[in-house]
Amino acid sequence: MSSFLTSRNVADVLGGITNGVIYSLVALSLVLVWRSTRILNFAQGAMAMIATYVGFAVLAPTTSYWVSMAVAIVAGLLIGGLTERVIVRGLYGKPEINPVVAMVGFLLVLESVAAAIWSTGSRGLPTPFSMVDWQLNHKPVALSPFALYEIVTAVVVMTVIAGLFQFTKLGLRLRAAALAPEVSRLLGVRVGRMLTLGWMLSSAVGAVTAVLVASNYFTGLTPTAMDGVFAFGFIAAAIGGLDSPVGALLSGIALGVILQFVGDYLNSNAIILVALGMLVVSLMVRPNGVFTRSAQRRV
Amino acid sequence: MIRVDGLSVSYGAVQALRDVSFEAQTGTITAVLGANGAGKTTLLRTISGLVAPRSGSIALDEATLTGMRTEDIVRRGVGHVPEGRGVIAEFTVEENLRLGAMISSVPLRDGLAQQYEWFPVLGERRKQAAATLSGGERQMLAMARALIAQPTVLLLDEPSLGLAPLVTAQLMHTVAELCTTTGLTVILVEQNAKSALRIASRAVVLYLGRVVADDVAAVVAQDDQLRQYYLGMVK
Amino acid sequence: MRGVRSNQRIVAGTALGVAAVLASILGVGTARAATAFSIASVAFVAGATLLASREFRHNHPVAARAAISVLAVDVSLVLTAFFSATVDDNLAIGAAMSIVLLGLSFLTGSSGQISLGNGAFMGVGAFTVAVWANHHPTTPIAVVLVLAVVAGALVGLLLGLPATRLRGPYLAGMTLAFAVAFGAVLNLFGTWTGGDSGLQLPAAVNAPAWVLHFFKPGTSSLTTNSVWLVDITIVTAGIALFFMANLFASRTGRAMRLVRDNDVAAELVGISLPRARVIAFIVSAAYAALGGGLWTLINNAVTPSTYGFALSVTILSLVVIGGIGTIPGALIGGLIYAFAANVIAWFTAHTGLNPQGNVASQLNGIIFGGLLVLTILFAPTGIAGFVRRRWAAWRAR
Repeated sequence: MSSFLTSRNVADVLGGITNGVIYSLVALSLVLVWRSTRILNFAQGAMAMIATYVGFAVLAPTTSYWVSMAVAIVAGLLIGGLTERVIVRGLYGKPEINPVVAMVGFLLVLESVAAAIWSTGSRGLPTPFSMVDWQLNHKPVALSPFALYEIVTAVVVMTVIAGLFQFTKLGLRLRAAALAPEVSRLLGVRVGRMLTLGWMLSSAVGAVTAVLVASNYFTGLTPTAMDGVFAFGFIAAAIGGLDSPVGALLSGIALGVILQFVGDYLNSNAIILVALGMLVVSLMVRPNGVFTRSAQRRV
Repeated sequence: MIRVDGLSVSYGAVQALRDVSFEAQTGTITAVLGANGAGKTTLLRTISGLVAPRSGSIALDEATLTGMRTEDIVRRGVGHVPEGRGVIAEFTVEENLRLGAMISSVPLRDGLAQQYEWFPVLGERRKQAAATLSGGERQMLAMARALIAQPTVLLLDEPSLGLAPLVTAQLMHTVAELCTTTGLTVILVEQNAKSALRIASRAVVLYLGRVVADDVAAVVAQDDQLRQYYLGMVK
Repeated sequence: MRGVRSNQRIVAGTALGVAAVLASILGVGTARAATAFSIASVAFVAGATLLASREFRHNHPVAARAAISVLAVDVSLVLTAFFSATVDDNLAIGAAMSIVLLGLSFLTGSSGQISLGNGAFMGVGAFTVAVWANHHPTTPIAVVLVLAVVAGALVGLLLGLPATRLRGPYLAGMTLAFAVAFGAVLNLFGTWTGGDSGLQLPAAVNAPAWVLHFFKPGTSSLTTNSVWLVDITIVTAGIALFFMANLFASRTGRAMRLVRDNDVAAELVGISLPRARVIAFIVSAAYAALGGGLWTLINNAVTPSTYGFALSVTILSLVVIGGIGTIPGALIGGLIYAFAANVIAWFTAHTGLNPQGNVASQLNGIIFGGLLVLTILFAPTGIAGFVRRRWAAWRAR
């Protein structure tokens, strides 16, 4: 049993899940705004990165990781709301490439501004838990307290979001505004406010994700720290289906595990190439995602 | 009472409504009739603020609705059952109703009980997704969802569309009853003039965005010229 | 009336030609031989005269497009003689960028799709040229450039296949993933691509002997090799422009615009949507690869960091700011790119920013990103659209 737990394959699975939950969170964040506003937020990673910089600006005076996390989440909420009100609002109902272009431009602005203020150098952030793997019979299990913290945090975030949407009045309104905006307005739902709120939630999820990424000392925090993570998160979301939160979560974890095996058995440079290949193939087979009930586009 | 005064609406170069004026009295049903493209749906959408008029005004009792946002108009007691039913198919029956009840001051449980009493079939299916309902059941759900908000005005857009005559009659009966018991004001848009004229007290006939007749329903029902030219009814 | 107008244009064209000849005489000994200017002037006068005739433009559209391309090349070549070597280099870099932008403009203009991976497609061309030149140094550069185009087209085909079924944002996301993956791909084939440090060309590209003989008898090299490369780049851009103008106007091009505007209508008219989309994607990738190949020649080297995601975003900015989906937009974008660095450096110098500081080094991204957002929100047709509207309003007065 103990040799099983420390075997190479189990290590890959555990490591894969640890990475995968991050992709799941990014994917969830993308799904939240896609469902309500039909906009793929290419600036998602950059917005989250800015929130994290803001959060860690209070680290020095407070020396508390948890206060920083809280500040980052609040910053995420604000950034998401502002983005929706200032930029996204002007994009509703425009040709579908306009939001793509605008969000990519915003991504560039955010990354450049971050580099202008905080430089392009990587910041090592404190890690709240040890990143040294636990041992079993003097052999490492591919799971550290920090990895467990990442997984637990992801599960908590997902549970909170799912609970909010499924069991609260606000969640009902949020879902209604996303599914049928006009009907919702006819029932007195303030749809504009719901869309803003959706962007705020998505951005807050992003902020938590970026804090997790940045506290991992292998990556640290840089203005472009989220580019790669965003790419994997997008791939997970697109494979799972941008309309399906559950699909996003599952495919994020599956992607993490598969890619861990690829990196271990093939070559670490092949990881993103394999991910890209999976995306291409899955999009050709199921253009609307594996977990989306296929709906014909209306004529 | 709803008063529409000199209402004009255009979509780009196309004028959908031209100088439309009429009143819908409290506690009565006012039928708005006309062929396809007469502007009936546009009229209702303008009343509930989904479409902005180019000129003219709409008033509910003494308050001007023109320029208000849909959400606020609805919160003032104007319920709108849109064309094509507009139930949220992904939601369960009860979720649809809960959404409708959010702006109501009546406790949710009482509101639900009331609707299930009026529409028993919805009670039986309350945990089912609205997508699984039949056309008639969806129409009932759309109506119940509007009624659960306790509106003082109800805008009904083609409730009989695609329904069996028997179901239509049943729905109309429910509507008529609500008007007499609760003082509900109804504006009923219909292409099916016959069934609408049967329960309406007044009828407004639209033709290419203009009011061509505005009279007591019985008079409109007897007017052969109107029936032939504007309502497409055979003698 | 029409005749008078044509005559005016002929006079104007001739006057320009004469001015060019005079300029060439003044320029003797400084940069180029008078011969070059004479040829350029004759070509210019001939082209302008032809184009002045509305009948000619109407009856021979292909020839008219060729004439426009020749004129553009002609003017650019003459202009290079007046500028310093640095400015010439900028022009060449910008001309190569114009090719890339033409490709992206065609993709968007014809099929309504967008690519966030054209920087990586450029990289495909850039590395094809470098790798090939290192293994077969004697291959003529025209052939190497064709290879770059082919490589770009092949990768474009591979990534374009899903475009048959995808809608905008999905496709954009996929190309973004490609852009992010490109660095890792280069590393994966590090033995050929030189890994992080990239590749040097084995030898600088020299002008052939006959060119040297013709323009500067008695010397062994053209003023600098870069001048020769500037010429090559501008001529290549002219050829690319000619093909693109025809493609835009062709039946396929018009059919694709139908696809963009309404894909259901296009299907009804009998256009194969999937094929139209993939072709647009391949053309855009091939054009990007050509531009990248030229960059390698101009720089005499290639580094992977040049072809990161940032370049793809810059390309997108240029095409949007210039005017997306149009040929003039692409050319304007190229021109902006040619001098953006200088303008920003000037700006830095005059605002007292520390040129080595964080802010100065990020100005490029802040300005381009900000312009990108503002353009798409408030002037989605870009400079080309703005100018066209002003022009139409002015004519209508």
